[in-house]
Amino acid sequence: MSESEDGKWGIAHVHASFNNTLITVTDQTGAETIAKSSGGSVVKQNRDEASPYAAMQMADSIAEEVKAAGITGLHVRVRGPGGNGNKSPGPGAQATIRALARAGIEIGRIEDVTPIPHDGTRAPKNKRL
Amino acid sequence: MQHVKVPQDRIGVLIGDGGETMREIERRAEVRLDIDSETGAVAIDSVGDPVAGLVAPDIVRAIGRGFPPEAALSLLENDVRMFDLIDLGEQTRNKNDLHRQKGRLIGENGRTRELMEELTGANVVIYGSTLGIIGQPEEVEAVRRAVGMLLDGAPHGAVYSFLERKHNELTRGFDPHLSG
Repeated sequence: MSESEDGKWGIAHVHASFNNTLITVTDQTGAETIAKSSGGSVVKQNRDEASPYAAMQMADSIAEEVKAAGITGLHVRVRGPGGNGNKSPGPGAQATIRALARAGIEIGRIEDVTPIPHDGTRAPKNKRL
Repeated sequence: MQHVKVPQDRIGVLIGDGGETMREIERRAEVRLDIDSETGAVAIDSVGDPVAGLVAPDIVRAIGRGFPPEAALSLLENDVRMFDLIDLGEQTRNKNDLHRQKGRLIGENGRTRELMEELTGANVVIYGSTLGIIGQPEEVEAVRRAVGMLLDGAPHGAVYSFLERKHNELTRGFDPHLSG
């Protein structure tokens, strides 16, 4: 990608499950990765990987990398685990988007791209809370 | 554009006195609400800042699951507040069991539910076959665990001491309610 051109946009792919949050920022085609981060890179404990705080820190570092790459705005694609599992994005999704916005990155379209089965394998049995 | 279904007897609350609550949500979350009062379907359209509109479906859902509008709108005030819903119907065997478990969760004169609210700081509402929680992530997690314990048949005393311990962890010995 050519550098420091004004008003360039990218896509932030946010995969938010209940165990982790993965953020990958790509160009508009989705072919070129500009920055990526996951819960494990900011917290020590495994169970904190999906926490909103981890997501905020990740979003902050991502925002810097993205700005350095000359991108001013991001479209967001949020995704939960999906498939026959949980359809709703985890706690990290909201936090990521807010933190990105606060870090001065323009947020364009927010889209939910959780994979929805058109009937496939049987869903796992309900877990105790 | 997102759709949320709201039960018939909560539509009035969602709209509010002369449309007050509905307009408040529309103004603060920068969305447009299209409420079908016959079927209870609510269409949510983000018109302004998409980041502000992100929580609008949760606000409508929370009101639909028995939260007062003020509690639901608190989702907008604080970034780290979140809404969580536990489907009690899924966790219980049948109607009688649901009824019994709801009774256990609410407690005598609402004591258990109130204690859950006081000790964690989250808002807890039991309505129909769902239990809704609004609060910060750790608070929500604590309530979820407590509810799980009660549904698994733990005695109330054990749950209270769990909440008591969580309370100390959450406030780290400093109690904002008592010192205020």
